Amino acid sequence: IVSSQLFPAACFRNIHCTAACLKNRAARIRVGKGDKSVTYEQAYHPHHIGHRKGWLSQHTSNLQGEDGAAERVVEDVFIRRFMYGTFHGCLADEVVIKRRGNLLVICAVMIQKLLPSKFYFLIGYTEELLSHFYKCPVKIEMQTVEEKVVYKYL
Amino acid sequence: MASSCSLRHNVCKSSRILRIHLQKSWPNRCFLIFCLFFFIIIIIFFSEEIVIPRKKTWSKEAVLQALASTVKRDPTASDSRFQDDPYLTPKTSSEFKLFSLSQESGRNAAKYFINTYPKYFQKDYAQPHIPCLMPETLEAQIEEASEAALIERIRMRRVKAAVDLYDQLLQAGTSVSLNVTNQLLDLICFCGDHDLARENVPEQRNEETEDVQDEPQAKEGRAPKASGLLKATWKENNNAERIFALLSEPNTHSYSALIRGMVKYGAYSKAFSTYTDMLNNRLKADVHTFNALITAAPEVKEKYNEKWELIVDLLKQMAEQKVKPNLLTLNAVLKALRHCGTLGKSQAFPVISEMKALSIDPSLASYNHLLAIFYKTGAPIQGQTDILQEVMNEVSGKSFTAQDPDDGICISLQRYNGLKVYIFFMSSSTDIKQLGHANRQNLVEELLTLMAREKHNQEVQESFAECALDIKKIYDTGDRGKVLLSWTAGSLSDLISVLLAAHRRQDAWEMLKLFKTHNRVPSEELLNKFLTCVKEAGEVNQAVELVQISAGFCLPETPKLIQRVQQEFELTEGQRNMLSDLEIQTFNSN
Repeated sequence: IVSSQLFPAACFRNIHCTAACLKNRAARIRVGKGDKSVTYEQAYHPHHIGHRKGWLSQHTSNLQGEDGAAERVVEDVFIRRFMYGTFHGCLADEVVIKRRGNLLVICAVMIQKLLPSKFYFLIGYTEELLSHFYKCPVKIEMQTVEEKVVYKYL
Repeated sequence: MASSCSLRHNVCKSSRILRIHLQKSWPNRCFLIFCLFFFIIIIIFFSEEIVIPRKKTWSKEAVLQALASTVKRDPTASDSRFQDDPYLTPKTSSEFKLFSLSQESGRNAAKYFINTYPKYFQKDYAQPHIPCLMPETLEAQIEEASEAALIERIRMRRVKAAVDLYDQLLQAGTSVSLNVTNQLLDLICFCGDHDLARENVPEQRNEETEDVQDEPQAKEGRAPKASGLLKATWKENNNAERIFALLSEPNTHSYSALIRGMVKYGAYSKAFSTYTDMLNNRLKADVHTFNALITAAPEVKEKYNEKWELIVDLLKQMAEQKVKPNLLTLNAVLKALRHCGTLGKSQAFPVISEMKALSIDPSLASYNHLLAIFYKTGAPIQGQTDILQEVMNEVSGKSFTAQDPDDGICISLQRYNGLKVYIFFMSSSTDIKQLGHANRQNLVEELLTLMAREKHNQEVQESFAECALDIKKIYDTGDRGKVLLSWTAGSLSDLISVLLAAHRRQDAWEMLKLFKTHNRVPSEELLNKFLTCVKEAGEVNQAVELVQISAGFCLPETPKLIQRVQQEFELTEGQRNMLSDLEIQTFNSN
C-alpha cells in the first residue's frame, strides 16, 4: 500500500510489504504435455476443497472460540514430513490426519512396495515415536494399493 | 377466558330467548332439554383442561447406548493389532506371529531412540501429565553407596548396576543385610545375570552375556524367528554364585533363589549339588526349591525308573521336612511323568489322588500333562477315550484361572448328556495350527475317527459337521505351497461319514471329489453309506454319478453298486444304458 500526503512540507510515501503469497500457484499442477500422471488429490485445485475434495487435516481448532490452530498446523507439517521420510517411496497419496479428542489418527495409503512385516515394523516405530513426541496416543490406519492410483495425465 | 365469558353470556341470552319461544310452544320441551345438553357440552369443551403426560427421564448414557447398539463386533475381522487391509492381514499363524513381532520390534526401536535422546521428548503438552509417554529416567535417584540405593536398583531391575553397587558396598566395608542380599540373589537368578530391558538393543549388548541362541533383530532385513526368545544358560562362576559364596550365613531363601536360578537356566546337576550342600548345612528347603528340583529331576537321570525314584525321594524328603506341596509341585510331578513313558501312565493316577487328598484343585495344566502322558501316538484309541471321558467329567462346568504357565495350551473336551463325548476346540481351528506338534497329523486323524466312529444324536452330529468343515479348511489352506497336512484315505472317509451323518450331502459330495484330486481311493462301505444317503434324498443322478466314480477308481465292488442302483432307483432309459455299459466294462476288466 502506498500512501502520499499532499502537505508540501511532509511529502513522503510509505511502502508496506508482505511476503509474496502466490495464491494462484499453490497446490496446482499445471497442464503439460500429457505424460505426467496425477492423482485425484493433485488434479483438483484448492478452490475445489469442500466441493470435489475433502480436507486433509481434520481438527476443531478452526471453530469459533477454539484455539491452538497454529500449533495443529505445525504438528501436521511435521507429521507429513515424518511419514514421507519414514515410509520413503511408499506413500501413494497425501496423508490424512484426523484428531478425535486426544487421539491422533494418521491415515495413509501405501503402495505395496515393502513386505507386510516391514510395514508393521515401521508402523510400530512411527506410532511409538510420535506418541512420545506429542504426548498423545497416535494410531496409524493404513491401506495399501498395488500402484499409485492415477486420475488423469496432465 | 374472555371468549368463554362472552360465550356464556351468549349462551344465557340464547337460552332465555329459547325459553320465551318455548313458553309459546309447549311440545318443544324435549327439544329444549336437548339444546341445553348441547350447550353444556360446548361449555365443557371450551373450559381448556390440559392433561400433561408424565415426564420421561433418560439416563446420561442413553444416547451412547443407543449408538452402541447399532455397532456389533465384526467376527470376520483380524485382530485389532493389525491393519484392516487384505495385504496386511495375517493369513497363517506364522504370519500372525511375524507381524506382531515386527510391530513390537518397531516399538522397541522407537523406545531406543526415545531413551537415547531424551532431550527431544521432554516438552510436556499433556494436561494432566502422562508419565508413560515421557522418556524413561533410568538414572537412579540415590547416588551414594548405601543399602537404600541397592534396594532401589533392585526395584528398577537393573541387575548390573545392583551387582556393582553391592561389590562397592562390600569393599567399603558396609555390611549388607541378609534380606537385601537375598533380594539381590532373587533378582540375579531370575534375570539370569543380564539386564532385562536392554536385550533387544544390539549396541548395548554386553560381551559377557554371550550364550544367546536366538537374537531378535531389531532392524528389518531379517525376519525375526517366531520363537525369538533369548535363552541364556547358567555360566560358571557368575555373579550369583560369587555373591552366594560371599554370604557368611546363607539361609533357606538364598539357597532357594540359587537353586531356582540354576534350574531355570539349565544347570541341573549343579542345582542338585547345591541342594546337597543345603542339607549338609542342616537347612530346610521350602516348597519353591522342591518344585524346582522336581522339574530338574528328569534331566539328570537317564532311565525311567531312576527318574521316578528321584522324584519319589524328593517327595519323601519334602514330607520329612514338613513342607506342604502345592499345586505347582504336583504339576511339576505330572510334567516330569511325561518323560517317564509307561511308568508315567501307572503313576499318574496316584498323583491325582494325592492332589485330591491334599484338597488342591487340579488346574488346566494338570489335565494337559495327564492328556500328554496318555495321548501318545500309537496307543490304542480305546484307552484314550476313557481317560478323556473321565477328564471331561471333571472339567465340564468348571472355570479355570491360569495358575501355571502351561495352562495356556490345551485341547478342551466337553461331555454331552453324560453319555457321549464330542470335541470342540477352545478357539478356532487355527489353534491346531498353533499347536505345532509334530504329531499334528495323527491328532487330527484320530479326532476324525473318533467323530465318525459312533452314531450320535442330531445336535452332536451337527457340531461334528461344523468341526469337520473347520478341519477341512486346515487341510486346504496351504501356506504358499507348503502343505500343512496331507489327506489320507482314512481321514477323508471319516470326514465324509461325519458329514453324511449330519445330512450334509452337498458338502460330502464335494469332499468325494477330493478323492480324485489327492489320489486316494474311497472304501466300499463309504460308497455304500453314500448310496443309502442319496437314496433317502431320492437323487437318482447323484446315484449314477456315484457309480461312475466308483468305476473310475476300478473298485471291485462296482458291480454290486450297479446292482444296488438298478434295484433301488427308478432309472431313465439313458441312465440304464450307461449302467449296463459300466457293468460290461467292469466285467471285462475283472
